[in-house]
Order: sequence, then C-alpha cells, then structure tokens
Amino acid sequence: MDQGLLIETAEELYESAPCGYLSTLPDGTIIRANQTFLTWIGMDRKELVGNKCFQDLLSVGARIFYDTHLAPLLRMQGFVNEIAFDLTCADGRVLPVLANTVQKRDANGRPMVHRITLFNATDRRQYERELLLARQKAEQATQALQRLNETLEERVAQEVAERMKAEEALRQAQKMEAIGQLTGGIAHDFNNLLTIIVGNIELLQRRLPEGSDRLQRAATHAMEATRRAATLTQRLLAFSRRQPLDPKPIDVNKLVAGMSDLLRRTLGEVVVLETVLAGGLWRSQADPNQLENAILNLAVNARDAMPDGGKLTIETANARLDEAYVEALAEPVPPGQYVLVAVSDTGTGMDKATMERVFEPFFTTKEAGKGTGLGLSQVYGFVRQSNGHVRIYSELGEGTTIKIYLPRLIGSDEEPAEIPSQAPAMVKGSGETILVVEDEPDLRTYTTEALRDLGYRVLEAGDGRGALEIVERHPEIQLLFTDVVLAGGMNGRALSDEVSRRRPGLPVLFTTGYTSNAIVHHGRLDPGMHLIGKPFTYAELAAKVRRMIDRG
Amino acid sequence: MTTVLTRHNVRVFGHGEQPMLFAHGYGCDQNMWRLVAPAFEDRYKIVLFDHVGHGQSGAVAFDWARYGSLDGYAEDVLAICHELDLKDVVFVGHSVSAMIGVLAAIREPERFDRLVLIGPSPRYIDDGDYVGGFKQEDIEGLLDFLDSNHLGWSSTMAPMIMGNPDRPELGEELTNSFCRTDPEIAKHFARVTFLSDNRADLPNVKTKSLILQCSQDAIAPESVGRYMHQNLSGSEFVLMRATGHCPNLSAPEETIAAMEAFLSDPAPAKAVA
Repeated sequence: MDQGLLIETAEELYESAPCGYLSTLPDGTIIRANQTFLTWIGMDRKELVGNKCFQDLLSVGARIFYDTHLAPLLRMQGFVNEIAFDLTCADGRVLPVLANTVQKRDANGRPMVHRITLFNATDRRQYERELLLARQKAEQATQALQRLNETLEERVAQEVAERMKAEEALRQAQKMEAIGQLTGGIAHDFNNLLTIIVGNIELLQRRLPEGSDRLQRAATHAMEATRRAATLTQRLLAFSRRQPLDPKPIDVNKLVAGMSDLLRRTLGEVVVLETVLAGGLWRSQADPNQLENAILNLAVNARDAMPDGGKLTIETANARLDEAYVEALAEPVPPGQYVLVAVSDTGTGMDKATMERVFEPFFTTKEAGKGTGLGLSQVYGFVRQSNGHVRIYSELGEGTTIKIYLPRLIGSDEEPAEIPSQAPAMVKGSGETILVVEDEPDLRTYTTEALRDLGYRVLEAGDGRGALEIVERHPEIQLLFTDVVLAGGMNGRALSDEVSRRRPGLPVLFTTGYTSNAIVHHGRLDPGMHLIGKPFTYAELAAKVRRMIDRG
Repeated sequence: MTTVLTRHNVRVFGHGEQPMLFAHGYGCDQNMWRLVAPAFEDRYKIVLFDHVGHGQSGAVAFDWARYGSLDGYAEDVLAICHELDLKDVVFVGHSVSAMIGVLAAIREPERFDRLVLIGPSPRYIDDGDYVGGFKQEDIEGLLDFLDSNHLGWSSTMAPMIMGNPDRPELGEELTNSFCRTDPEIAKHFARVTFLSDNRADLPNVKTKSLILQCSQDAIAPESVGRYMHQNLSGSEFVLMRATGHCPNLSAPEETIAAMEAFLSDPAPAKAVA
C-alpha cells in the first residue's frame, strides 16, 4: 500500500477544514475559495471565483462598514480579527460568520492579496443576542433599582406625611366624638334641670298675686335667663348629634328667602346681604328649624368677622360630590348629589390652625363673653347628623366661605315644610285623660301640674310596669305622655310598643332631653312618633298635647 | 483639565509655516494619514487630530446635542484652529470630514486657504433626482450591523468583554489596534453622518477647493463628486485611478501628487476676493 495515501495532503486540509478560506485581491475580488465555504454559501466554484467580490456577499450596511473600517484597518495594521458579518447565500439564507483577514504585501509593501478565514458563527451569534438581551434586562433592572433608591427617601417622607395626616384626622375625629359624648351628657342633665326650672318659674308667674310687680319682673328675668340656657344646651346637643331632628322635604331657596328679614336685622347696617339663589334647585331633606339656626349662626360669625362692614353672600346651588372628593375626607360622606348652601363673608378670614378647630364646641376667637363657641359646632353637628357635609374655605384678610352640603331628596311628593313662624296659640284641655310616665319625680310633678292647669285629667306613673297597670284599669286614657328614658328595665319605646299592642291607635307623645336609638333612628324620629324636646315650655306643651289628642 | 489639544489628541509636527490640518473620516482615526502627511512635513506645519470618541481622543462626557449635527464637529475643528492660532490653513478632510471642513470654512472663511476634499458627499441618501447612493433602510442596516459587532468586533469591545479594563493591551494584542472607537459615539456619528444633508451649504463656500474622487467608490459615487464640483464655485475635480473609499491608504502616491498639483496652482488662494 502506498504510504502516501495514509497521510493527508495540504489540499485535503485546505478544502475540508472546518472553516471557510477565501483569497481576494486588495479590491475584494475572490480568487480562491475552499470547498467548506462553497458548501456553506451554496455556490459553484466557477460562479464565485473571479466573478464576485467579498463585498458582494454583504448587506449594504456591512459594505459601508467594509469600506469605512475594514479596508483602512487592513491597510494600516495588515490584519483584522473577528468581524461579525452576515453573508447572503445563493438561496437567500443568511449565514452569520466571524472573519479574520490578513493582508499579504510585496517587497515594496504594496498589498497583493487578502487571506480571509471565516468561522460559522450561527451559534455564537445566538448566544451574543441572548447575552445582549440579558445585559439590557440587567441594565434596566439596575436603572429601575437606582430610580427606586433615589426616590426612596422622598417616598418614605411622603408616606409618613400622609400617615401623620391620617392620624391627625383620626385624632381630630376622636376628639370631636369624645367632646360630643361629654357635651351630650351634660346637655341631657341640664335639660332635665331646666325643664323643672322653667316649669316652676311658670308656676310662680301664674300664681303670683296681682300687684306684685317686682316679683313678676324677677320671675321674667329668671325665665329669660333659663331660655338662654336652654338654647345653649340645644346647641350642645346639636353638636353631639344627639338632638332629635325632624327632617322634612325642604326648598332651601324658599327657606333662605324667608330668612332675609331676620338676617338683615342680625347683620346690621354696615354689612350688605346678597343672596344668589340657583334656579332649578333640587329639594333636600333636613330639619328646617335647624337649618335656619345653622344659617343664622354662620351669619352671626360673618358679621363678627366684618367689624368695619363688608358683604355677606348666601348662595345655593346643585352640587355633586364625587368619589375622589369624598375619599379624601376624614369623615364618611357618601358620594352623590347634594344641595349646596354657601355662606361667604369679606371679613378677616382665619389661619389654618384656627380652621382646624372652629367646629369644636367652646372654641371661639371672640372676646370673653361675646361668644359661646357653639355656633359652628351646631352647624357641624346638624349637618353631619343630616348626612351632609361641611367645608370651610378661608384666607387671612380675604374672607371665609362655609359650604353646607345637604343630601338631595329624591322621589318624594311631600310638599316642602312651611317654617313655623310663630308659637302656637295657647290651647286648653277639656277634661281628657292623659297618662304621664316620668321617672324623675320633680319633672313628673311639673308636667302633671302643668297639664292639670291646662284642664286635663292626669294619671301618673314612675316606670313602665306601673304605667301598663294604669292603662289596663283606665280605658278612658286618650294620650300616653312618656319620657324616653325610664328607670326599671322598660324604656319609653318598649312601653309605647306594649301600649300600642293593648290599645291600638292610642297616641303617644315622647319627651326627652337626650335621645337614644329607642326613639331616634340615627337622630330621627321614627315615622308616626311624636316628640317634645326638653326643656319644653308651658305653651309648647299645651299646643302639642292638644294637637295629639285632636288627631288621635 | 482637558484642553482642546488633549481632548482631540492633537499632534503637531513639520518644518513649514503654513498649517496643513488633516481630518479623518467616519470609522477611523488620525492614523489613516500616516502614508500622506509625512510627504508634506518639510513644507507645512502638519496638524493631526482625532474626532471625539475616536482613536486616542480624551475621555469626556459626550455632548449628544452638540454632536447632533456635523456643526458640532466643525466647531471642534475651529476650536483647534483657535487654540493653535492657525491661519491660512490647508484643510484636508476625508469622507464626512470633507463636509465638516466645508462647514468650518463657511463659518470662518478668512482662516482657510484651501480645502482638499477626499471622497466628499453632501448627502448619502437618494432624494428625488439626486443620487446619493443609499436608501434610508441601508443606513438602518449599518446601525444594526454596528450593534451586532459590539460583541463580535473585539477592537472596541474586547477589553470590556475580557474583564480586563485595567489591562487594555490584552485586548489590543488580540484584536485590532487602530481606529478604536467608542461604540455608542461611533454609532451616533454614523447616524449623523449618513443622515446629513449639507447640499444647501455648498454655494456658501468661498474657499478654493479640490475634490478627489475615487473610481468605484461605493460610499461616495462619482456622480456625487461631480455634484460637489458643480455646486462648489472655484472647485477643482480630479477623478483618481484609485478604487474604493480611502485613496489616502490604498493610493497614497496618487493622492499626494493630486494634492501637490492643486497646492502649487498659482491661482489666487481666495476664490472670491
């Protein structure tokens, strides 16, 4: 055997090497190619050699690179390594390669031939793409992390500020609630006492002999002072949201218009009153007396903020509180449609610290003796109890606007309530029988005496059990008059329910200085229930009792 | 503190008074003048430099906005002239630097004696009747190509990839030591170069100029060279035997001879007095 056949020839190595070999002239014309390259590119030797330039196998972009980078580099350093090209094969496929090129020169240094070695870089290019992608992802992640870090302090500060604001709002709400409970309790006790005082002063006034003018005057003064005290306790109750409300459909425009005389008298000559009443204003549901009180309280405050004169504007409008707005509030206010009453002045305005405290009871900026600090508390308590919302806007030196939002009343045919303009005329009884149930003996005495004075026959009981026995024995009873809160395990509501079961249709008149859910659902009377708030006067009692018996 | 001279790796040599300022084109650095510049050093003061991001230019924060058009590069040329107090400059610009020289000469015509424009093109992309030789997508293809060579082409990336930034010579030995470029700046320069359109500037040139046009230049075809000639008043046009885009490297003798002929022309230096 010819030993020569066992040894590979240089040609064999050249043709079947695992890389492509090309020789080109300095201008790129291909003058030699190995079989490996021809197989890769899918071309005949004849097709390629002498007929094509290396650049012809490149995309236009790569050719620009060849001319601007590769050719100058070859001339300057004699070689170029690891250029990534995509070669276009005969069938249009793209073959990723890595090219190393060496420039051979003659004795004078002139370029003669380029030897190009090509590696199939299909796999490597794939890895490179993945690597690039991974690096991009890593860079993006790093950047995101960096941004996160850069804003960390700011975001923490923001979070803390928001948390502190929320806590402050909660503290404020808790404080208002605590003060509310305290004032509510005090007001209840005071009302009981005031009812006795009023009753006894009235008794004195009626029984004082003719000609004792001085004593009559003293009694009158005492009565006036007691009424003022009653007004104060009423406001305390309003703030504590425990006043019995009597909500009715109201036309706020009509209510405001009806108040203009009263307001003008209150404001005096130096303050100009302007009312801007919206056309097509929705109806609302609220206690009209309390709304009047609220507006009057705001007007008084406005007047006091404008000692040198100014303008008070009362506006009404339809308003909508959206989700975003109510979410930002510390107290729960449902989003939806509201009737807005805005009271604006051109007065001194207030700073932020003051604004935060104005609704607190007894908080006042007025001189000692000039204000009770209960005006805005009444507004706040009444509006919240009516499921409304109060907003205060103020600028120092510019003035203040207080906006009251009351829920729109939808789907009621009831006519808006007329505002009771004067006290009802004194109406007497004619021997009808009334059962008075009251656990406070002094109060019971006052009430029974007042009713007897009015011409009624009065039976009395100190608790629910005793009352039921009397009801059994006295079918002639035409009215049950009971305190809401009773000692002895059965409250006024339970008594009323039991009596109604035994004597259907018997009218029941409740009285209380302090209401509980037994009679007041969320501060409102249950439909069909009647109430006279403590402290009540002789005249009020007379009117209410007469009306109840006449209806019953 | 980097000065203009260190920032651009400025090298000055030669025995003449009149300055000859060489500006390299896209993809290379001042090394590309190594076969041409020495021929003039006995009669001229030779000034070589690298554009920002190319060759041995100093590492500075790259101002992407300043170099968003060729004007930023022209300002660099003028800054070098100011720093060295160069007057009556013979400006020799290759490829895109030919247009950079044109822009510099329009700004300060009094500073330039003559312009030698090698393979110039005022616009590379075809536009109506104008044939620049390329289409928009060709240039996008070039940018893609540059991307794929960030990893593959080790001349720029090897030191980084090999994790030996403190011993860059490791990368240099293995790969390509000339024409090193910052890949991101080079890509930006490629975009600015190949998307530039300076045709409207040509009539504003008052400096006498020579256009050296290679045969079979894929980057700046002959029609583009002739367009330059038509629109540059007082320009000379020489069609060289050399092929390709870099006659200063592939045919230095022919390049030198054409320059000599142009520079010895006794015609008044300023085309318009």
